[in-house]
Amino acid sequence: MNFRYTFKTSFTSLIANKSRSALTILGIVIGITAIMVIVSVGNGAESLILGEISGMGAQSIVIRPGKQPKGPSDMAGTLYSDSLKPRDVAALKKKSNVPYLVNVAPAVIVPGSVSYGGETYIPMIFGWTANMMSEMLNLYPAEGINFGENAIRDKASVAVIGSKVKKELFGGSSALGKKIKIKNKKFRVIGVYPPRGQVAFFNVDEVVIVPYTTAMTYLLGISHYNEIIVRAKNPEVVARTVNDIEATIRETHGITDPADDDFFVVTQKGMVNQIKNIMGVLTAFLSAVVAISLVVGGIGVMNIMLVSVTERTREIGLRKAIGATDGDILRQFLVESVILTALGGIIGIALGTVFSLLTSFILTHYLDLNWSFSFPFLAVVLGIAVSAFVGLIFGIYPARQAAKKNPIEALRYE
Amino acid sequence: MALIEVKNLEKIYGDGDVTTPALRDISFNIESGEFIAVMGPSGSGKSTLLHILGFLDRQTSGVYRFGGKTIDDYSKDEIAHVRNKKMGFVFQAFNLLPRATVLENVKLPLVYSGIKQAEWDAMATDVIKSVGLLKRIKHEPSQLSGGERQKVAIARALVNNPNVIFLDEPTGNLDSKSGRTVMEIIQELSEEEKRTIILITHEESTAEYAKRTIHLFDGRVVSDEKVKYQRAARDFVK
Ligand SMILES: Nc1ncnc2c1ncn2[C@@H]1O[C@H](COP(=O)(O)OP(=O)(O)OP(=O)(O)O)[C@@H](O)[C@H]1O
Ligand SMILES: [Mg+2]
Repeated sequence: MNFRYTFKTSFTSLIANKSRSALTILGIVIGITAIMVIVSVGNGAESLILGEISGMGAQSIVIRPGKQPKGPSDMAGTLYSDSLKPRDVAALKKKSNVPYLVNVAPAVIVPGSVSYGGETYIPMIFGWTANMMSEMLNLYPAEGINFGENAIRDKASVAVIGSKVKKELFGGSSALGKKIKIKNKKFRVIGVYPPRGQVAFFNVDEVVIVPYTTAMTYLLGISHYNEIIVRAKNPEVVARTVNDIEATIRETHGITDPADDDFFVVTQKGMVNQIKNIMGVLTAFLSAVVAISLVVGGIGVMNIMLVSVTERTREIGLRKAIGATDGDILRQFLVESVILTALGGIIGIALGTVFSLLTSFILTHYLDLNWSFSFPFLAVVLGIAVSAFVGLIFGIYPARQAAKKNPIEALRYE
Repeated sequence: MALIEVKNLEKIYGDGDVTTPALRDISFNIESGEFIAVMGPSGSGKSTLLHILGFLDRQTSGVYRFGGKTIDDYSKDEIAHVRNKKMGFVFQAFNLLPRATVLENVKLPLVYSGIKQAEWDAMATDVIKSVGLLKRIKHEPSQLSGGERQKVAIARALVNNPNVIFLDEPTGNLDSKSGRTVMEIIQELSEEEKRTIILITHEESTAEYAKRTIHLFDGRVVSDEKVKYQRAARDFVK
């Protein structure tokens, strides 16, 4: 039997039962839509996160206090742990301990707001070293200067601020030399960064950097660090440097068993692997859910095809009586179920694209994320193939029921 | 060798306790080009016989040869092919596809014939014209009269140019005038195209258009004779 004819006949019969066909493929539509959205949003999220991670640079190594968090709920623990102290930084600075270290800077996070005159703003305040910030993000003040070693040693009350902080507090006028207030302590603005936006999980435009010594003594009253940032000489020696760092800190902390570590080390590569792992697990889990929905959808299609075979018993009998072979009838119904599910796949792809676009629109326009929508061609191909395959698999049984019919009994069917 | 050979044919419906013998010990031969009317009261086994002759059903015992071969000499697909190419069937209940046009209904046997799709329309249109339904070609069966539906069914049986045409009560549901126009078409097929025609009817007047009548009663052949004065359908129309 001619394929064009089969296709047309199947299509006509599906059109004749429009609403039933539509309801039948709903499961497939939802499944394929889900695949599209998952793949598209997943890709977007992954490239967003990977983009942020790459912002910290391949040479950067972050040492955090506490145990390696097993999940987001563990995160808080690292903020309250006080295991990283000045002696650790002193040990890391020794050439014999960490030979490939080129720069090391402790960091503390200062919660709170900043104000100037009547204006108040809630930025991200870091006690850090300005030169580490500049080196790590390759970002140097557009106006003024960074504070240096002297300011850190003297616990000077100086700050370098992001472009948005400047705009919020000073509007169009100059910020340099002005005194801003953090927790009732005045800091003199000596530098302003150029606009850069979101990099490495924080918005550079919203930062206020003050010497970490000043922050610890006057703003926080603590003597431990929230993070220690290390720059290795080049990306090739990062792995080796991580080992050196771990050995050094274990020694200063008197730890012999790595399981007892009260700190952990994060690198760009490690984070990338971690994210890829998380995304992999998430994708596998969601794929399983989608697979279940497609199976359920397929059973729906099978059910309706069985109804259709029964309804069209006389037609089947007639076709066989005038010369259709079992194979002809089988193909006719298989083509019908494949068209049905493939149609569901196409609708699913269209809907999935719309939802993905909508998601990326909302994320970029309302959440200000650096989100990029990429049309997932792989998911499109996969979606059509999978939906057609579902039609084929779940169409076989009804189609065989149709092909098996005895023509004369089928013709007699009321 | 006769085109159709039937020997001691029996058909018993059902199995176990409730069995209905529909045909008993039937024997006859039909030559190519004959025009035969099968007669008998309702339930005498006429349709059952026609289905067996058309390879749509199997006898319980006895022998049926079509062109020298029994149904068991063919594979399933070959039987479908024989039904498609060598036989035309007009069913007692038209059996047209309800949502398809006249043209699409008539085309149906071509779909399974191996003939190129490009030729289907022309071939179907030709037979539709020959049964005089060209004006109704785009109509669906629900928009046709009983006589017109019967003509569509005949056109469909003819479209593949089969040698043998089986008709189950082609005039059974028609008034006498449309019955005559249908019989005119059938008689022409016999006279002018020398097709083999096996027609079921329970009306004596319709049987008289044939050349030979076989009478069934209770599943048995009670008479098998030549028609003495064959009626010509065309004269009545004029
Ligand atoms: N599928 C079946 N199962 C059981 N009995 C059947 C079946 N088909 C037909 N019969 C019986 O076989 C006998 C012959 O039926 P058949 O249909 O051949 O009669 P017919 O001569 O064509 O009658 P009519 O003129 O009413 O069409 C009847 O007694 C009928 O009840
Ligand atoms: Mg009958």
